[in-house]
Amino acid sequence: MNTEDSNVQCPLCGQSHRAPFLKPGQRALCIRCGTTVAERGRLGPDAALAFALTALVLAIPSFLLPFVTLTKFGNERTVLLSGGVEGLWLHGFGPLAVLVLVCGILAPLGLLALLVAVLWTDTSENPGELNATLRRWAHGVEHWAMPEVQILGVMVAFFKLGAVVEVAVGPGLWCYGAASLFTLLAWRRFNLQTRHERARSMLTVASS
Amino acid sequence: MIPLRLQSRSSLAQAAALAISAIIMMVPAYALPVMHLGIAGQTTSDTTILSGILQLWREGLGGLAAIVFTASFLVPVLKLAGLACLLAAAWRKPGTHSHLLTRVYGAVDFIGRWSMLDVFLVAFLSGAVRFGKLASVQPRPGILAFGAVVVLTMLATHRFDPRFLWADSPPPASGRDDAAIQMATTPPTLP
Ligand SMILES: [Zn+2]
Repeated sequence: MNTEDSNVQCPLCGQSHRAPFLKPGQRALCIRCGTTVAERGRLGPDAALAFALTALVLAIPSFLLPFVTLTKFGNERTVLLSGGVEGLWLHGFGPLAVLVLVCGILAPLGLLALLVAVLWTDTSENPGELNATLRRWAHGVEHWAMPEVQILGVMVAFFKLGAVVEVAVGPGLWCYGAASLFTLLAWRRFNLQTRHERARSMLTVASS
Repeated sequence: MIPLRLQSRSSLAQAAALAISAIIMMVPAYALPVMHLGIAGQTTSDTTILSGILQLWREGLGGLAAIVFTASFLVPVLKLAGLACLLAAAWRKPGTHSHLLTRVYGAVDFIGRWSMLDVFLVAFLSGAVRFGKLASVQPRPGILAFGAVVVLTMLATHRFDPRFLWADSPPPASGRDDAAIQMATTPPTLP
């Protein structure tokens, strides 16, 4: 058994602990700095994977369906999720367009893909080097995935536009909002799951 | 493996350099206009981050003005101030006030992302409001500087290794790696 992975390391102070046995709803705190290092969900060990897959499915229509429809003196414009990136790019703000593309679209998608890959391949007692690498990548990508901030930005824009043009929310925005909610849920479960809880996963049972 | 002490000294210096660059970029970010709104029959105007907030306030949207003020001004300023405290404390005397400083790091790491709000706002408006002479929004260079502040601050936070705050304090209990964990049933009351 991989000793490094059977331990729980505090993300803040680096203290390692034996992976605890938790009852549903219990959480474990770091003995040195008090940070929550593990939590046993009430939803079962495969909740993280279910949340991530749901978010991934919702992400597809959020790119393709109308995000917002604007009307000014009878002129109608339908904007997709990528509209903001396009707007910055067309006005010559290339680097900023890339930042918005990364934080609003690429990093959230990448995070979901990595979560699904990690949880799907984590089926044995010793998940191996590839799984550990994917896990590290997921932590790196997560910092740059900010779909919830993009949603707040669009909300503020609605109020700013109220007097200038008519705005209607499209189905793309609803899907994007739901996808980002499921991403947050998946990330939280993924992050605080212990090896003991993962060992109870359907995937593990099926493969061993 | 490089000892934590040496590794952290150089990463502290890098974090400090990134934080100082972010502080410098704050000047153009708040001084320059971030976008331009043109509406047919009205005088066109450039808005800065702070004048945009003031505008929301004048239109009677106080709550919204407070949210944008928090995300676009309080968060970047507090985050850089918190980072400066952490860097100074870790540089001079690692291992003191570790509990408090770890909380500060956690908060800084958590709130940081919300300062991207203004970048997303200007991006959305410039992509959506394109009605030619009737109504249009164009981004202005201030938003580029603001985006740089956000990215530099995030890079500085990631470069800072919070384990350095605990460098001189020995682990509690027996000091062994397999220290047992504290249990708490939810809802937890943090010590
Ligand atoms: Zn800790």
